[in-house]
Amino acid sequence: MKRFIAVALLGSIVFSVGFAAASAPLKIGICKIVEHPALDAVEQGVIDTLTAAGYVEGVDVEYLIASAQGDFGTAISIAQNFQAQNVDLVVAIATPTAQAAVEVFRGSDTPIIYGAVTDPVGAELVLSATDPSGNENVTGVSDMIPVAAHLRLLKELSSEIITIGIVYNPGEANSAILTEMALAAAPSVGVAIVTATADSTANVPLAAQSLIGRVDAFYVTTDNTVVSAIDSVLAASEEAGVPFLMADPTSLAQATLAAGFDYYEHGLTVGQVVLDVLSGTGTDEIPVTYQERAEIHLNLDAAERIGFVFTQSVIDQASAILYHGIVWERQEP
Amino acid sequence: MAVLWIHAIEQGLAYGIAALGVFLTYRILKFPDLTVDGSFVTGAAIASVLLVRYGVDPFTVLLVAFVAGGIAGLITGLLNTRLGITNLLAGVLTMIMLYSINLRIMGRPNLSLLRVPTATRLVDAAWTPLGAVSVLTFIAILTLTIKLLVDAFLRTEIGFALRATGDSETMITAQGVNTKTMKILGLALSNGLVALSGALVAQYSGFADVGMGLGTIVTGLAAVIIGGTLIRSTRVGWMTASVLLGSLVYRVAVILALRYGYVIGFQASDLKLITSLLVILALVVPYVRERRMRSVSAC
Repeated sequence: MKRFIAVALLGSIVFSVGFAAASAPLKIGICKIVEHPALDAVEQGVIDTLTAAGYVEGVDVEYLIASAQGDFGTAISIAQNFQAQNVDLVVAIATPTAQAAVEVFRGSDTPIIYGAVTDPVGAELVLSATDPSGNENVTGVSDMIPVAAHLRLLKELSSEIITIGIVYNPGEANSAILTEMALAAAPSVGVAIVTATADSTANVPLAAQSLIGRVDAFYVTTDNTVVSAIDSVLAASEEAGVPFLMADPTSLAQATLAAGFDYYEHGLTVGQVVLDVLSGTGTDEIPVTYQERAEIHLNLDAAERIGFVFTQSVIDQASAILYHGIVWERQEP
Repeated sequence: MAVLWIHAIEQGLAYGIAALGVFLTYRILKFPDLTVDGSFVTGAAIASVLLVRYGVDPFTVLLVAFVAGGIAGLITGLLNTRLGITNLLAGVLTMIMLYSINLRIMGRPNLSLLRVPTATRLVDAAWTPLGAVSVLTFIAILTLTIKLLVDAFLRTEIGFALRATGDSETMITAQGVNTKTMKILGLALSNGLVALSGALVAQYSGFADVGMGLGTIVTGLAAVIIGGTLIRSTRVGWMTASVLLGSLVYRVAVILALRYGYVIGFQASDLKLITSLLVILALVVPYVRERRMRSVSAC
């Protein structure tokens, strides 16, 4: 027994000094609340960042990838399984998964890196957005989008855009806070907001249609429920003959224009935080990281269908356009 | 691995309280009540708001959640018995209403309990001699007490009337029992238990989310039916025990699928498939053994 303890101790010393060289690969648990294009992209982004940094899967690192498949009880079980299997680090994608991981790993020093969490302070994952000293074992990247900037962009499209319609699910934490922010920012931007709620994907078409004739533009944030039925929002906006701004460039084909960041890029940022923590930076030294590189993409095909013409100033800001079914990216000089 | 079994039992028992609620409506009243997907969250919501905003004791909030869930069940009962809405629709309507009401209660879709003392965390800190099984002991005591109370209630005169309402409504009406009152009582009791379970699970998980009730009826029914298949008895004590066993089997299946799913080459998206296959296995093994025993004795 004594010998066993000695070996175990020695092992842990070797491990902590340089685990990349140790024989046992690093164990990273990645969990998400449900299969979803954005969340899947985050997961892939994290893995790709680590691979690019030299962590070869199966040699240097072993991934335990899990999805709660929409079940909150399973989210807890996943975190408990990660704990039982002594993972070295947890990547938790989306708010409930992150909360479950923080609860299960309470008091342990296993780092938890969250991604795709809109309001990490409101979700109480961390105490402060700017001061990381109280973070304990938790840090990560927020997918907060610049809602006020999006409203200004819509205003810039045309002076006729005064009332903006938002379709959202009030049951989604991320979406509720973004809509709240839009409502708060609207007066200063000089627009009015009308909301239509859909508690499930099946109710999105009806909610979108209810805005026809009442709004000058449609706006959808990173709402998982609405994004799943995004085509119905585009159909409603085209029926109304008004532009539709989507806060996710991956959905450009289903909107008149899109602004924001790609969730794969968000995953790369989460992966970068994981690398920082693996290289020895404490989670209590890394404040909440906010996703940068907000881009504007224009869908000229969709604009043509409603007879909408983008102004030159908006075209100048765009980093990509969809024209005749092909995406044209702006080449930086 | 041992610790993982402990967690599976913790969850099985915590969700088992909700399964006992489903048992009361589905098995005893023969009333398929879909209110539970909403009332589970109502319990979690009430508990969280009281904990976070009012600093109420985490054990007291369980009782408050029970009362709140009872009111939800009462509404379904009134819709069904007084307004003549069919049982399935009455439950669906209340469940849909509760979605908005739960959002109102919480004021937001997700309420964190990570920074307030919760029942499970208090127990974990206070019952240190029990070590890893402190939370399990607490949940087990709570769940078994509730099981025994349900047993005792079903053996009272009102409890008999409740069972008779489900078994043979016309006969018991002739006996002078008001079956409408019995249904309302059963639904209130059932949803009270479901909400209590929600309040406990929220504290155990560290958060309440308006989406956390999704599938409560499915897992609850699964527990009732799995348990009923494994333990075939019409005695009250055995029936409620079987429900808890069914809930345990389901959660153990989830844990096993998570723990060993990768090892045998499944991927994350296969989880629900493996979980269900494990449940099927748990049901089939005793079934096959029983048939073999019968064929042997027939020889």
